[in-house]
Order: sequence, then C-alpha cells, then structure tokens
Amino acid sequence: MLDAFEILTTSGIVLWRKQYAPVSSSVVNSLINDVFIEQRGQKSNDGGKNPPYRKEKYTLRYTSAKDVGLIFVVVYQSLLHLSWVDDLLTAVRALFTKQYATELKKPHATTVNCRDFDQTFDALVRKLDTGSTRRPSEPDSDAGPVELTPPSSTASAGEDGVDDEDAPPPIPTAPQFKKPAIPQRQKQESAIVDDTTSTDITPVPTPDTSRPGTPSTASSHLLTAKAGPGKASRRARKANATAWSTSAPASSGDEGPIRKAKGGKTSAKQKRRWDADGFAADDNDPVLDYSAPAATSEPGDGERELDVNEVKAENMGSRTGKGQFVLKDLDDEVDAILASSKSSQATKETSAESSGLLGSATSRISGLFRNVVGGKTLSKQDLQQPLQQMQNHLLEKNVAREAAERLCTSVETDLLNQTTASFTSIDATIRTSMAKALTRILTPTSSLDLLRNITSTIEGPAARPYVISIVGVNGVGKSTSLSKIAYFLLQNKFRVLVVAADTFRSGAVEQLRVHVRNLSELSRREDVGTVELFEQGYGKDAATVARDAVSNATNAGKGEMLYDVVLIDTAGRRHNDTRLMSSLTKFGQLAKPDKIFMVGEALVGTDSVAQARNFAKEFVDTKGQLRNNGVGMDGFIISKCDTVGDMVGTLVSMVHATGIPVVFLGVGQHYGDLRGLNVGWAVDKLMK
Amino acid sequence: MASQSTVEAWLTWAFSPSISAILVTLVISLLSPILIHIYLYRKAQSKELPSFLLLGPSGAGKTTLLTLFANGTPSTTHTSQEPQTALCRLPSTVRSSEDRYRSEHDTSSRSQPQFLLVDTPGHGKLRHHAVTSLTSPGSLKGLIFVVDSAATSSSAGLTAAAEYLYDILLILQKRHTHSKTSKDPTALPVLIAANKQDVFTSLPTGLVKSKLEEEIARVRQTRSKGLLDSGIGMEDANVGDEEGNWLGEYGAREFGFGQMEEHGVDVRVAGGNVRGEGEGEGRVEEWWGWVGENL
Ligand SMILES: Nc1nc2c(ncn2[C@@H]2O[C@H](COP(=O)(O)OP(=O)(O)OP(=O)(O)O)[C@@H](O)[C@H]2O)c(=O)[nH]1
Ligand SMILES: [Mg+2]
Repeated sequence: MLDAFEILTTSGIVLWRKQYAPVSSSVVNSLINDVFIEQRGQKSNDGGKNPPYRKEKYTLRYTSAKDVGLIFVVVYQSLLHLSWVDDLLTAVRALFTKQYATELKKPHATTVNCRDFDQTFDALVRKLDTGSTRRPSEPDSDAGPVELTPPSSTASAGEDGVDDEDAPPPIPTAPQFKKPAIPQRQKQESAIVDDTTSTDITPVPTPDTSRPGTPSTASSHLLTAKAGPGKASRRARKANATAWSTSAPASSGDEGPIRKAKGGKTSAKQKRRWDADGFAADDNDPVLDYSAPAATSEPGDGERELDVNEVKAENMGSRTGKGQFVLKDLDDEVDAILASSKSSQATKETSAESSGLLGSATSRISGLFRNVVGGKTLSKQDLQQPLQQMQNHLLEKNVAREAAERLCTSVETDLLNQTTASFTSIDATIRTSMAKALTRILTPTSSLDLLRNITSTIEGPAARPYVISIVGVNGVGKSTSLSKIAYFLLQNKFRVLVVAADTFRSGAVEQLRVHVRNLSELSRREDVGTVELFEQGYGKDAATVARDAVSNATNAGKGEMLYDVVLIDTAGRRHNDTRLMSSLTKFGQLAKPDKIFMVGEALVGTDSVAQARNFAKEFVDTKGQLRNNGVGMDGFIISKCDTVGDMVGTLVSMVHATGIPVVFLGVGQHYGDLRGLNVGWAVDKLMK
Repeated sequence: MASQSTVEAWLTWAFSPSISAILVTLVISLLSPILIHIYLYRKAQSKELPSFLLLGPSGAGKTTLLTLFANGTPSTTHTSQEPQTALCRLPSTVRSSEDRYRSEHDTSSRSQPQFLLVDTPGHGKLRHHAVTSLTSPGSLKGLIFVVDSAATSSSAGLTAAAEYLYDILLILQKRHTHSKTSKDPTALPVLIAANKQDVFTSLPTGLVKSKLEEEIARVRQTRSKGLLDSGIGMEDANVGDEEGNWLGEYGAREFGFGQMEEHGVDVRVAGGNVRGEGEGEGRVEEWWGWVGENL
C-alpha cells in the first residue's frame, strides 16, 4: 500500500500530507535534491509522466503543478507495483488545485487550510485503488501503523446500517470520522470485506472494484445519494478492467458470509461466475446491472460496505446529503480528469485556431500589446518561436545540442502558463528564465576550496599527502594544466611531487621534466614551495607508478612526509578506446586520488559531451559505485578559454552531461593563467 | 469577406472628419494617461512593508521558522527550491523599536507592526536567489542567518555554514564600502540564529559563535590565497584589490563578528529552536526580540 502522500510547495512547505507509515523526511528531500534541483537522471518528459524515483526501499512518484508551484509526491515500497498511483496523482493534482485555487493564489500564502481534503483523498484512493501486483518472492510488507478497522467492527458497522434501515440514522459521535476506511486489512479473518481483484495475500482496499450486487432496497434512504459513486466506480472498473487484467479473483469464495452479514440477497450472487480478470463474467446481466437508472439506489456492495461507515460518520450529521453530494460529483469529476489526461496524452495537442479574420487580428494585436506591456499568459505557441531562437543562440555559443534542448525544455516547463510581469516581453522573460537555468547548472552544489582541503588533509594526526590526478583525451592540455595547478600550489608554499604516469606517449616524461625545471626555478626565485618530478621511465603500468609515487611522498611510512601534494599526470587517451579507458578504473582504485580532474577543451568542434561521459563512468570504486557521490570525477578544467571569446558553451555541455562542476579555467599560456569559475561571468557571456 | 468589409467600414469612419470620430478620439486621448496612471499606481504597492531575509545552509530550519513566524505553528517542510515571502505580525509580547518610548500602561490602541519575511533556498545551487534578494533595492531591515547547531558539531556542517556566512558578510561589507562613496549606507544587522537547540547533540549558542568565528578565519585565509576567478574585470573591478576582498579587519589572524561593526554590519548570535521536544513548543523569543528591535 501507499506509505505516504504529500502535497508541498516549491518553497518546501508541506501543505497537506497523509502518512500511512512513518517515512523519513530525507526520502522526499533527496527526491527534491536529485530530480528537481540537480535534475539528474531525468528524461525529457513531454507526456507529463515522470519516471519513478527510487530511494532506499521506497519508490516515489511525483507530478507538479507549475502554475501554483505545487509538487505532489507518492511514496510506496518498491516491492509493490502500484500502477494506479499515476491516476491518483493526476486526480489529486486536478482536484487540489481546483479546490484551493483561491487560497493558493493569495500572495504570501504559507498554509492552506485543507483539512477537508482528507475526505476527498480517501474517496479518491478508494475509487482508484486497484490493488497491487506484488512480486511473488516477497512475503509481506505492511501498510504500516494505519488505523486499521478490524473487520468485525466494519461488519458491525454494516449491520448497524442495515438494522437501522427504517429508524433515523444515528448521530455521528465524532464529526471527523476515523481516518480512512482505506486500509482495511483483515488478516486474521477469512471474511474479506473488500473483494479486490488482486491476488495478493494482503487484501488491498479496493471497494470500488467489487462487483455490484446485493440489492437492498430497504437501506436506500441511507444510500440514495451514493448511487453516483457506485455507478461511476462501476464505470471506472470497466475502464480499468483491461488495464489491470493481470490480477485474478482472490476472495470470491469468502464473500458469502460477509454479504450475509450485511443482510443482502446472497443467493443471486453465489451463482455468479468469475472470469479470468476477476470480474463477474455475467457482468452485463440485467439483474446485476445496478447502474441502470431504475436501480440507482443499489450501489455495489463493497461500495456500500464503506458507505455505511461514511454515512454514519459524516453525512448524517449536520451536513446530511452534502458530503454525499460532493462525493458523487467527485466521482464524475475524477473520471473526467483521468479521461482528459489520457486523451491529451494520446492526441498531441491540436492547436486551437481562432475563428475568423477579425478574431485573429484582434487577438494578435492584443497579443502584441501584451507582449510589450506584460501580463500575458504564455502558451506553447507563444514560447515556441522565441525558444527556438534561444536554442539557436545557445548553439552558436557552442553549447551541445543535447544540452541546449534540455535547457530550452526546462525553460518551457518553467514558463508555460505563467504570466509575464508588467512591461516585460516574452523574450525578456525567456532570457531571465534561461539565465536562471544556466546559473543553476553551472553553480556547484558545494564549492571547492582546494587549499582548505589540502591543509586539512596534510595536518593532524592522520596526515597524508593530498593526491590529485589529471585525466583527459590527447592534446587537450593536461600537462599544461597540471603545471598551472602546481604553480598555484607552489605559491601557497606546498611541497609538490609531480608524477609522470604517462608511460605511453614518447616525450611525455621529458615534457614534464621541462615544466618541473621551470617551476622549481620560479619557486626558488620567489622563495615559495618546492617541486620534484617522480618518474619511472616508459612502459610501466601507470597505476603502479602512481602508487609508488604516493608511497614515496609519504616516505613509505617512515617518519615525516616528504611532500604535501602529489600531482599525477596520466596518458591522454581517446575516450572511445575501451582498452585504455578501462585501465583508468584500476588507476583510480590503486592510486586513490583525493581529486580527479578532467581537462577538456573549450574549442569548437570537440565531442566534449561524449568525452566527459566516458571518462566519468570509468571511475568506479571496488564496489562498483561511481566516485564522488555517483558522478565519477571531481571537476573539470576547461583549457584554452582565451581562444573562444564568448563561446564558452562547452562549460555548459560538460556539466550538463555529467553533473560534475567546472572548477578551473585555463585562460592563457602562462603558469599563472588559471582561474576559478565565476558563474555570473559565464552566464553573462552565454546570454550576450 | 464580411469581417473584412466591417473592418474597412470601421476604419473609414475612424478617419472621417465627423464629430463623433473626433469626440471618440478626444475621449481616448484624455482617458488613456489616466488609466495608465491608475494601472501603474495599483501595481506599485502604495507602502512597502519592512522585510527581513532568511538565509542559511540547507536544512537549517529557515522554512520552518518562516511558517512559525507567519502562522504561529511550524509546518512540516522539505528542501526549498524557491524563495517564499510571508506576512508576519509581531506578537504583542514583543515591543518594536517604534514603541520604545511608550509607557507600559499606555492602553491606547496599539497595532503590532507587520513585516515581510523572505525565505530563500539554502541549497548550494540555489543561493543566487538569496544574493539577488539581498542586493535588490527594497526596505530590507535585516538578515536572519539560520544555522543548525547540531550540524555545526561536524566539520563538514561547520564549513558549509561558515562558507555561506562568509560570502554573505563579504557582500554586506562590500555594499557598505560602496555606499560610503555615494549615498548614506543602510546598515543591515545580521542575526545568527543558532537553531535546533533542543537537539541533544547541538552545541550551545556561545560555542556555535566561537566555532563559526574560527572557521570563518580559516575560510578567509584560504580565500585570500585562492585563485582569481574568471569574473575579473566585471562590475566590481574597483574593489578587486586585496583589502576590499578581505572580510573584517584587514590582515588580522583571528576573526570575530565584532570586526564587522566597522563595516556597518552589526552581528548578533542568539540561540533557540523552532520545534520542540513535544509537538510544537519552540523557543524563539530572542529572535522575535531582535526583529522587534530592528523593525
Ligand atoms: N529538532 C528540531 N528540528 C528542527 C528545528 N527547526 C527545524 N527543524 C527540522 O529541520 C528540518 C529542515 O528544516 P527546513 O525549515 O526545511 O530547512 P531549510 O533551512 O528551509 O532548508 P532549505 O529549504 O533546504 O534551505 C525539518 O525537518 C525541520 O523539522 C528545531 O528547532 N528543532
Ligand atoms: Mg527551506
């Protein structure tokens, strides 16, 4: 069953929630962090269906209502396959936003009084819940500490209703009826109240899927208004019948007693045959078809079972009739919502055409006017062309097509159905939104303070050298970038060991030796740190060289550390050369670098995205987990930024593809030409 | 086409020298400025309420504090993605600075002042919201920097909080340096709210303060030695010098919040908790008091 359903605002306030079992707040938090903020692993979804998100033992499904800034999240155990929660989400979204539209739109609203949504929600669950298809291996999971209504009490409630059929209904004891009648789990008793269509051991509360039966005209005064739900759920069931056809009848045999208890005509029912789908095979039998107008007063028995509860609890009080009426409406509404959401998914928006020349002319003029003055509600058509322009603009800035498209999609979802601010044109609105999206992509989740990290590693009782390694494809400027970092570290008076782990390309060691000679000359003159080269010639395994270098820096465990920082240069490799690439994994595991930086070029025409992806995926630890929280590497160094002017799109492409932040930019030929990334600067260049 | 001829007829009339056409034009030309004025006047809120900004790392309890101040009870919250503004009213137990000279026994009706509280997301990627609301003009009266006193006992949590606080204080300091040359500086006080004092593992307020100061000193040290960033030569090139980028007393080894006073930033540290052991019952009087003083 469901574990929790939450409705929260984008500002993080939970407006309404229902927990069937305690769910740690961190579960939803990580959904927000990973999917909404970091936008990781999200496919572009145009159908409105979001892929489920898994965390710990839970599966989360979610949807959002952008215009009011709400997010709807369902949490359930991953063991269960609840295919109906999508419908639930759609229905809840539509109903909630409609019911509380005015309150939500109020400025500064931080709470919405939505106590009464409990009832709507319960009714919805009851209507939509078609049970779960459970993976056979798992014996049990539970619905948690729900307020379970023991079967006996339910049954007695039912009997009450029948007993009282001619007497005035009892006054409800409490206006707020017991939480839901939903998870009526009757484990101990064979009498299963809700004859669900599911096969599982745990009966799932799906009263609505029960077939109608047990006419009991006598109780009609209690149930008249419920005819609607009964009818509708019947309809829904039919609609669903095909969808959930995997489940088979489970409890038909147990129905006799319970129905008797409810005082229904059981005889008619026992003859019923069931088909493979768990529905009465003689479904269309006129006698049983209580959805016919003549028999409107007889709802389905499962329905009634719960209705009695409900009638007792809420409808009989001061609000007689009203609650029922609402529920009846609700049922039809839900059907409409679901139908419309399905049809809109199936048929891709047919563009509405304005009628008549005059109509289109005026609408166009007012559209132009609104474009200038603002206050225009943005439709898909309004956005299409300017977004296309924006995408082209990004492509011109050397942003990879994939990233540009994703950015534009996210801007589109951000702005769709929004209203432009006064005196703001659509273009300006799109620009601001795009700038925000770019800022979010480029800003690292936590900023990298390399010096602090180094200092805290080389000090204290567990002191050890800090290991940084540089990877990248051939000729992107690995060795140059490494020397720049070495220079920066030397300025901060660290002792640096440069390791030539490129044992492959001829001349690589010599090139590094030249750099190291220059650097030590420079640092001697300025009286800063010291630098040394560690090399073992060509042909040796890079991973072993790196490991030896690190143990050399620690002085092989004997006394004082000799170096503070170990900088490892690796062989450049084509990212599609699987043999060389896979050796990176071993390298990562043996040398255990604190930081792995990848060097990428800012130049036009490199397949930077594929490079970044392929490199990142090599750095898995021994457990097969990607390093650094599942992103593989710690940062990018983008070289040759001075040669591209404004076209710094590579930054965006690489970060977008991997979620790894850009930490340094190479901006020239000198050792000092290394910069940190200023996000504002980059966004400025991209939007220019 | 019928509609086309209608348009034509209408246009002919509009350009004809008939009295009615002239009158209509006259009315339109006279009314439109008035209407535009009314429209704009409505848009611009007649009186801006004073506002406070909530800042702090993710999970510190900003949004919870916002709901507590606005509604009297803390809501359940998750990570924020968007800023949120709420209208709050000072509780009657707290006296605002306006009421300072009012007699305790003055029974004349006294309405508690209202103010806006702006919550910002604390996630690393979303801090630009906070920075823009900080730098945008408005009647900002102060900043509340919320820290999780329990998280500051771990080094990672402490660093995260200190780095964010460092950035904010540096922005405030630069703002002050800038405004010295132009208009008179609007000094912005900062309240460091050491939240979650109810949690067993949380540090006491005094310790939170000293730990933050120590950590900021370290952040300041490495930042001053760090790489230049690529944004050099952008807007604030004039304060790109080393001294302008040094938070607090230039060259000092130690950092204390007292050093910020010289730069027009009054920092106060106060403890409290938004949520309590038992349901509800937080302890936020000190924070209310600070808000009252600065209204
Ligand atoms: N024990 C205790 N928990 C608190 C207190 N204040 C907040 N919390 C909890 O801390 C968690 C995070 O609170 P939020 O208000 O969402 O944090 P935030 O600062 O808004 O975080 P972001 O929106 O991510 O920036 C919530 O689960 C709160 O219930 C407190 O005083 N004591
Ligand atoms: Mg928040």
